[in-house]
Amino acid sequence: MIQQDLKELEERSIYIIREATTKFDKVAALWSMGKDSTTMLALARKAFLGKVPFPVIHIDNNIDFPETYKFRQDLAKKWKLDLIVAESEIKPEMSGFACCGENKTVALKKVMKDYGFDALIVSIRRDEHGIRAKERYMSPRDKEFKWNFKDQPAEIWDDYSSKLDAKGHVRIHPLLDWNEVDIWNFIKKEKVPINPLYYSRNGLRYRSLGCTHCTIPIRSNAKTIDAIIGELAVTKVEERSGREQDKEKAYVMQKLRALGYM
Amino acid sequence: MLINRITLLGHKDHGKSTLIGNLLIQTGTASEQRINDAKKTSQKLGRKFEPGFILDSFEEEREGGLTIDTTRVQINYKDIGFEFIDVPGHEELIKNMMSGASYAKFAILLVSAKSDEGIRPQTKRHLFLAKMMGINKIIIAVNKMDYANYRKDVFDNMRNEIETFLHKIGFDKKQAYFIPISAYNADNLVKISKKTPWYKGSTLMDAMKNAVVGEEEETDGKLRIIVQGVLPSGKKTMTTGKIISGTIKAGEKVSIVPANITAKTKEIFVKGKKQKAARKGENVALTFDKEPKGSLRGSVIYGATVSVRPTKRVSSIIFFTKNVVKPISIKINGNEIACDEAKIKDVIDTGTGSKMKSSYDKTLNAADVELKFSKAIIAEPFEISAELGRFVVYQGKEFVGLGIVKGCIT
Repeated sequence: MIQQDLKELEERSIYIIREATTKFDKVAALWSMGKDSTTMLALARKAFLGKVPFPVIHIDNNIDFPETYKFRQDLAKKWKLDLIVAESEIKPEMSGFACCGENKTVALKKVMKDYGFDALIVSIRRDEHGIRAKERYMSPRDKEFKWNFKDQPAEIWDDYSSKLDAKGHVRIHPLLDWNEVDIWNFIKKEKVPINPLYYSRNGLRYRSLGCTHCTIPIRSNAKTIDAIIGELAVTKVEERSGREQDKEKAYVMQKLRALGYM
Repeated sequence: MLINRITLLGHKDHGKSTLIGNLLIQTGTASEQRINDAKKTSQKLGRKFEPGFILDSFEEEREGGLTIDTTRVQINYKDIGFEFIDVPGHEELIKNMMSGASYAKFAILLVSAKSDEGIRPQTKRHLFLAKMMGINKIIIAVNKMDYANYRKDVFDNMRNEIETFLHKIGFDKKQAYFIPISAYNADNLVKISKKTPWYKGSTLMDAMKNAVVGEEEETDGKLRIIVQGVLPSGKKTMTTGKIISGTIKAGEKVSIVPANITAKTKEIFVKGKKQKAARKGENVALTFDKEPKGSLRGSVIYGATVSVRPTKRVSSIIFFTKNVVKPISIKINGNEIACDEAKIKDVIDTGTGSKMKSSYDKTLNAADVELKFSKAIIAEPFEISAELGRFVVYQGKEFVGLGIVKGCIT
């Protein structure tokens, strides 16, 4: 995995985050308490001189790890985040497509409507998944949250905004260019607080964090950030190999995203 | 590691996705999981192994055997970082091709040596667009040489025809490097092929490496900041912008145009930290000795001694994705400006490079256009400042093309 120049990545992300708040009236960000969306918040603090200027939404299905809830509480306080917890109901038999597709998306739709947000910052990266690699930096969703991937807007040079359908919203992707290892290099450089589940315990660690139902840890002895960076520099295993939803069947991510999933 | 972005170019089915897929395999970049997935998908669709399946991920792309939208992959080759941008070759998907290509500084054009494929109008159109968008080094990979029995004369003929076209559109032929390849069989990708003993040049990856090494962007070094907007800072506001050339120092006198404000910079923030100076590529937040009023978005900050005059008329070249009939607007420096008049002079048929009458269908062709605005804007010729000399074109809500500024008419 290539370790990219952080300076260039940070500058582009800051530009995009500032562009979002310039172009849209009501911007919010999704925060899963994972490494990517926490990195995005750290970048927003750089762009806005120490303050995250928009609300952050946690789509909470009440089955996240206890460490994740503790982390949410601590960082929200430390960084003075305007945290919105959008509860989604989970049924025991649900998993994968039904859970992520219906459950999370329904809760997201509700919170977007209740608050009237017209732009949503989502911390996806191109190297996570072939479908996410197809995304634009700013990507419109219609009022049903659908992603029209067959006819995406032109996004040429620094002109990120297409003309939008007034009833929909726009997904903002400031971390699209980042690789997994770049996130860790940034966390190290900036001493970004991070969920302890990423570090190895008893020979296992979480490489990608979701909820307790669908996420499984990988074998790893990486107990420090340096060890994680060393591990990622040589791995050939896909980052989201521990995420159930991608594996269910072919094109699940495409379908989930087309329906409004992050 | 710095990343060199390279866009693929060329007609549909001439092998862009196959090439990137096989480069991922040949350089040892693709994971086994990805290769196996691609193998399984190929089998399921009843086809021979398709390396392009390592990339294309929409169901429709795989089943339809085409690339719908751009994707990017990275390869570390001999400690140089490359990012290959795959783009669709279909005419109707050209806005996606432009979106991908606009991030690249280099290009690989694929053209098929198969007798029923060959050099197509779309092949030339992509070269025309690349030149227009400021890509000035291109590798021309003559692909599917296996279908032409690896014959030198086939390669030479195609090379001659492309060189003639490059000359016609003003592309320096010394910056075009020709390689005979088979993307599928991996001939001359990372290893010199025994099947083309007459070819004495580099492999594709080595040619890429040679193209990017020592390549430095030329600028005149003058300060230029495109103003993005404002951000609140206590009771005051700060002006944000991106430095596209030169450096800015605290205490320096600057001029902000087109409003024609002269001010002294007080504080400079980069990535949240106060600094004495900032340079090209950095996004700054600035305060001045007197706070500028109103929205400055789309304004440009220059050094105090540099004066670029606001203009209401520019001469330009526009590549149209559609034959426009209604009034157009352009988006430049982050602002949208309505054009009162767009006078079309010559149309250039981008499939041949020939000049046509102004009435010629502009769809997928370029035109010399004189644009007139009711409000003054800041623009510079593309040759002098790429960022201030390029724009996208809309007709109402619809994207209809992109353009570059040739000159400002005062």
